[in-house]
Amino acid sequence: MTLAPDEDLMLQVRDGAGEMLGVLFDRYQTPLFNFYSKLTGDRTLSEDLVQEVFLRILKYRQSYRPGTPFRAWVYQIARNARIDHFRKFPRERAFEPEMLPPVLPTDSAQEHQEVELLHRALLQLPEDKREILLLCRFQELKYEEIAELLGCELNTVRTRIHRALQELRKSFHQLTQGTLKQASAAAAENLPPRGGRQ
Amino acid sequence: MKCEQISELLPDYLQGSLSPDQHRSVEAHLQQCTDCSEEVAVWRKLSRLPVEQPSPMSRVRFEAMLQAYLAGRSNQPASGLSWKKRPSSWNFFHWLRSPLGAAAWSAALLAIGVFAGLHLAGPKPTPPDIAEIQKQLESTKQLVVLSMLQQQSAGARLEGVSWSTREQQLNPQVLSALLHTLRYDPSVDVRLAALDALSRHSTQPQVRSSVVNALQEQQSPLVQVALIDQLVEWHDREAKPHLEKLRQSQDLNPAVRQHADWAISKLN
Repeated sequence: MTLAPDEDLMLQVRDGAGEMLGVLFDRYQTPLFNFYSKLTGDRTLSEDLVQEVFLRILKYRQSYRPGTPFRAWVYQIARNARIDHFRKFPRERAFEPEMLPPVLPTDSAQEHQEVELLHRALLQLPEDKREILLLCRFQELKYEEIAELLGCELNTVRTRIHRALQELRKSFHQLTQGTLKQASAAAAENLPPRGGRQ
Repeated sequence: MKCEQISELLPDYLQGSLSPDQHRSVEAHLQQCTDCSEEVAVWRKLSRLPVEQPSPMSRVRFEAMLQAYLAGRSNQPASGLSWKKRPSSWNFFHWLRSPLGAAAWSAALLAIGVFAGLHLAGPKPTPPDIAEIQKQLESTKQLVVLSMLQQQSAGARLEGVSWSTREQQLNPQVLSALLHTLRYDPSVDVRLAALDALSRHSTQPQVRSSVVNALQEQQSPLVQVALIDQLVEWHDREAKPHLEKLRQSQDLNPAVRQHADWAISKLN
């Protein structure tokens, strides 16, 4: 039963089997949580928004139509929940990557450092660009589904993804260069003074 | 191929949906172009970003919400609207075709007619005062809401509540009708919708106090949970003693009690 498609489960929820929502929760809470946490950088808020999504699924269950891909439907709800939240509580200041602790080259292995810098570069993107990358890369929505979600043409989605990726590359490049400079500066400081060995 | 041409193909390349020919031309370009190949590399690296796990409390909160919902459904009075019959979403045109919608529409047309008549029949035709007409239309709409909230059918009352959310400002009569609906409507669905509509008017002091008071009065766990969520959303610290009182009340649904505990910790 747990292997039933999302759509079948949602129809059961709609028709009265509210307990089936638990299966959908198990399938979607982590992807949704990651969508929000990578978008806002705020874990607590992300957990609250995930709860809000499932409450809304119950509230609006009657608007779910057979044949609608559940994934696309649930991300529509997720986007609206976030938009409504920030409408009610406008952010005093946007998330600043500077709020994160600095990434030092000596922190850990290079692989880990690279991933950390990429995460930071992602957080530096304007929210709409970050969102579209998250939707297609992490939430695995098809471009058609994203077009419907954002209310735009398929080609616009392609262009936006490409622009977002271009900006991410630049930002990642800058961060990597910056860290390399820090690394060489730190290395230079640690070098023994010239002639010290004599 | 140049970067501009590639940029049109790149998103589909990333999804692996290009024809073999196109795929080959993109690959050939990537061999020569550092910027484009770095873009592809960044895209691939994105999949290495760690998947974060929500805290275990998240599942507990969901369970509490779901239990409250299931309990709310079994407590739903027989007179309440069967949720299968509930209209799926607000559909303006559908509503216009309904008898009630037709009546409201006629009332609106009548209001326009009366105003146009008054202005055109006057000895000196003056340009119609748009603001005045708008004001009249607003009050007509508010009347429609008021009349819908008093309908026998829960579906019509639900539509009345939805209709009220289209207004930026509520007149005091509509506001008090919504507050009355939140307290006394026999249908859980209508009470929930009323709470949703009222949450948009949190600047009105009586809205907040009514939500706090409803906490003690409501018996449906689903409504109780929605009220608690609303108070947390408003960060209403004054609600804390009321939540304490609620959690101590006997016969309280355990899921609601758990939810109240969560809310109290949130408001601390």
